[in-house]
Amino acid sequence: MDSEKIKALLERYWNCETTLEEEQGLRDFFNGNDIPENLQQEAQLFRYFKQQQELKLTDLSFEHALKQKIQPKESKLRSLFSTGLKLAAGISVVVASFWLVRQELKEDQPEEVVDTYDDPQKAFEETKRALQLISKNFGKAQKASTNINLINEATEKLQKENKKADS
Amino acid sequence: MNFETFQERVLPVKNKLYRFALRLTGSQEEAKDVVQEVFIRVWNGRDQMHEIQNMEAWCMRITRNLSLDRVRAMNRKQAQPLEESYNIRHEELTPHETTELHESMNRVSQLMAALPEKQRQVMHLRDVEGYSYNEICDILSIDMSQVKVNLFRARNAVREKLMQLNAYGL
Repeated sequence: MDSEKIKALLERYWNCETTLEEEQGLRDFFNGNDIPENLQQEAQLFRYFKQQQELKLTDLSFEHALKQKIQPKESKLRSLFSTGLKLAAGISVVVASFWLVRQELKEDQPEEVVDTYDDPQKAFEETKRALQLISKNFGKAQKASTNINLINEATEKLQKENKKADS
Repeated sequence: MNFETFQERVLPVKNKLYRFALRLTGSQEEAKDVVQEVFIRVWNGRDQMHEIQNMEAWCMRITRNLSLDRVRAMNRKQAQPLEESYNIRHEELTPHETTELHESMNRVSQLMAALPEKQRQVMHLRDVEGYSYNEICDILSIDMSQVKVNLFRARNAVREKLMQLNAYGL
């Protein structure tokens, strides 16, 4: 770009008539070499703009510090989640053990007695027969025990007489 | 929005925010704090972020508001005289520049710093960041005519000062 063109562009720049592209062109031009002596004062301004554009937040600790400030929010969420998880685990343990104990108790209970006869008369006859069987056997046992008692009494008598004879 | 999306979509704008905050506060530390606060606000409101049409302009607007709050707080405390904040700004210049260039950058920096607040903001957004007039309207919440008037005044004030400096050989 020759000096006259630049001068014309500058004039438009001062009047705020330049586009963004033209303004970028001016910054590029003035940051190059071979700036005419009569444009040196304007060059200072455009070099300054260019230099300012390159200014960066280079602090490495910045992002780290930012992350630190942001993370507590995340860990709060995470701790809320883990608390919920623990709570759910606790509840499921209680429910499971309750269910198991209930099952265990159910198994221990004897099964309900089921009716074997539909006809009451038949049931009565059967019961009577069973009771008679018991009573018959009971009678037999009583007879046998009377005999045992007789033997016991005889043994005791003999023992007593033996003792008397000894003394 | 998770942290990875945030890192990809929002964090890259940090340099623009930092430069704008630095322009307004004149302090690197304050500027860094402002940028951090802007990002924390974005993060905390990440669920509503899809409602924002231009995220960058929104971040710039918040940067401006927070920076001006800090400037007001600093002025109230008077802990940092204005002169000092200019000196901090000068430290921002790259050290590899030649002394002469360094001085000329300082001069321009001081010229811009001496501009009224709004003119300084508009000039920074247009000439350093390359925003369109519409975007500047959006960021500064002012109308187009105000943007143009402020930019015109800012550029001409700087031009005049540059000519004076040149004329007196300062």
